[in-house]
Amino acid sequence: MNNECVSETVGDYVVVRLRGEVDLSWSQQVRKAILTALGATGKVGVEMSEVSYIDSSGIAALVEGLQNARSKGQQFGLVGVSKAVMAVLQLARLDRVFPIFPDLDAARAG
Amino acid sequence: MPDGVDERRALDFLAELVQALALSTDLGKTLSMALGRIADFMQAEAASMFLVDPVSGLIECRLCVGPVDIVGLKLEVGQGIIGRAVAQNTTQIVRDAQTDARVNVRVDAETGFVTRSIICVPLTTGEGPIGAIEVINRRGGGLFEIEDAVLLETVAAPAALAINNARLVDSLVEQQRIRRELDLARRMQKMLLPKRRRGKFPLIGINLPAHEISGDFYDYFDLPDGRIAFVIGDISGKGLDAAFLMVRVASLLRWSGKDGLAPAQWLARANNESCQTLNEGRFVCALVGQYDRNDGSVVFASAGFPPALLQGAKGFETFIADGPPLGILPDIDYGERRLTLGDDALYFFSDGAIDAREAGQQRIGNEGLRDMIARHTGLAPEPRLRALIGDLKRMQLADDTTVLLLQEPRGTAAQILLDLPFPARAEELRRVRARLREALDTQGVGPELRDRLVLAVDEACTNIIRHAYCGNCDDKITLRLTRERDMLAFELRDEAPAVDPEKITSRDLGDCRPGGLGVPFIRALMDDWQLEPGTDGKGNVLRMRKRLHSDGDTETNT
Repeated sequence: MNNECVSETVGDYVVVRLRGEVDLSWSQQVRKAILTALGATGKVGVEMSEVSYIDSSGIAALVEGLQNARSKGQQFGLVGVSKAVMAVLQLARLDRVFPIFPDLDAARAG
Repeated sequence: MPDGVDERRALDFLAELVQALALSTDLGKTLSMALGRIADFMQAEAASMFLVDPVSGLIECRLCVGPVDIVGLKLEVGQGIIGRAVAQNTTQIVRDAQTDARVNVRVDAETGFVTRSIICVPLTTGEGPIGAIEVINRRGGGLFEIEDAVLLETVAAPAALAINNARLVDSLVEQQRIRRELDLARRMQKMLLPKRRRGKFPLIGINLPAHEISGDFYDYFDLPDGRIAFVIGDISGKGLDAAFLMVRVASLLRWSGKDGLAPAQWLARANNESCQTLNEGRFVCALVGQYDRNDGSVVFASAGFPPALLQGAKGFETFIADGPPLGILPDIDYGERRLTLGDDALYFFSDGAIDAREAGQQRIGNEGLRDMIARHTGLAPEPRLRALIGDLKRMQLADDTTVLLLQEPRGTAAQILLDLPFPARAEELRRVRARLREALDTQGVGPELRDRLVLAVDEACTNIIRHAYCGNCDDKITLRLTRERDMLAFELRDEAPAVDPEKITSRDLGDCRPGGLGVPFIRALMDDWQLEPGTDGKGNVLRMRKRLHSDGDTETNT
């Protein structure tokens, strides 16, 4: 699976789709995509069902997105979190910090 | 002030005296010189200095100049002019000694010296007067003036200061002497503990005295039949007397155990001996035992010693004492414990360890000790014991603390599962993770644990690239994975400038903010980790370990 980071607009919602293994080599790119999305709209989700690995630099990008959104009263959530990502979120005790949605519809419904 | 003497001369005189007192390396000599100069300057026939003896409380003449030697003359505080000056801490001026009721005429009567006039000023310190200086009889029959008293007071101040300082120095020297002797006692006592054996020896002990000297001890020695005997003990109370007793009891236990007597009888014999020789409510908690390396059997007996802890694959087992401490009641029958050690570790802790406490918290107790051991399970016996002692040292130790560990050193060579050098670039990490997953799969490590271990190693690599190399570069990182029995060891070597392990930042996992998660991840996922300088001081070596449970997977302490 190749690494991929694509942002897609669905109505007033921007979904940042991640694929592959999020690590130090491109977590900065993920960070920028998330912050750009938050600059464009008030509702952002990061879709992670195809993410097979995430390290602490990837987690840091997600945390920064969440803090940024909160400070401006925006919505920010994780969508379709894979088992591998969930394991790391649990390890970092962040699984209850992020709003997590099973799919895009649930995320858009907020 | 004497006729024809101007203030300038007085000032010069004072300045010289003050300087001489301040710079003095031999105070006795300096004071003696000063007293002579004072007598000359003030044109006195005699001068003397009295100091209060802190032990007797009497005022004793320590220095004098003049026709009559009164050194050694002792006065009560309050007695005579000197006694008054000290008692009232005020200057005394006598214009006509023969009619002044304050004057003690006994000395005159004994010596034939005729005292006419006197000025006496106290030597004053922050804690009150410590003595007095006195000048007697203006030469040529004149009288002392008020100005003479002021001058003497001015001289008395630096003299008192110099004397007081010298006394402080003396008490400091005395303290240092005591400290040196205690240090010597500590070293002597340390020599009584057995020397660490080289090679693969199954017993290691560490003794941490709460003060300079210890009431704890341990010992091990070879028996004629090839078994190894061991002893650990704790004398009730602490301080010098406990330390002396420790020396006696340690030799008693060695003497009574040298023939390989069964531990229960060994204790019984030592107990009867102790009952005859110990007194004043002293007693000794001790545990003695024997270990047979041929069949791995251990037998031990405990006289009031804190519970022994056996750590095996299934967790901890505790063995409480088999009888009361030594030296309380004669003719006690002690029980005995017998077990097969195998790969397990048997710990004996004196109660100093159990009573250790984190700042402001409860004593850690047996449970705390078990947690502490569990944290360092991954380490080989010796570094593990050092790590335990390190943990204990960071706590408040009120009592002597001793640990004896019985464990067969692991003998088999480690199997190398992966030896992978790669450039310190983030793009490389994906390949490194893939190789590491494969290697862990060959060991039957379950997918959940495998992914966690991969995460920990990846976080470590990320930190090396970011913080040791300060970004991507083509210098090398080498990942080595080895396995020794159920222990996986991950080693990451780099060629970056040395990293100070103390400066590695970390944070609590519960604290939500970006960054700083790498080290907490490693801490949560591995049994232990340590960072050391590389060989020849070049680069760094990060070692992380994880013990596999028999099913290949394991709990993580997240």
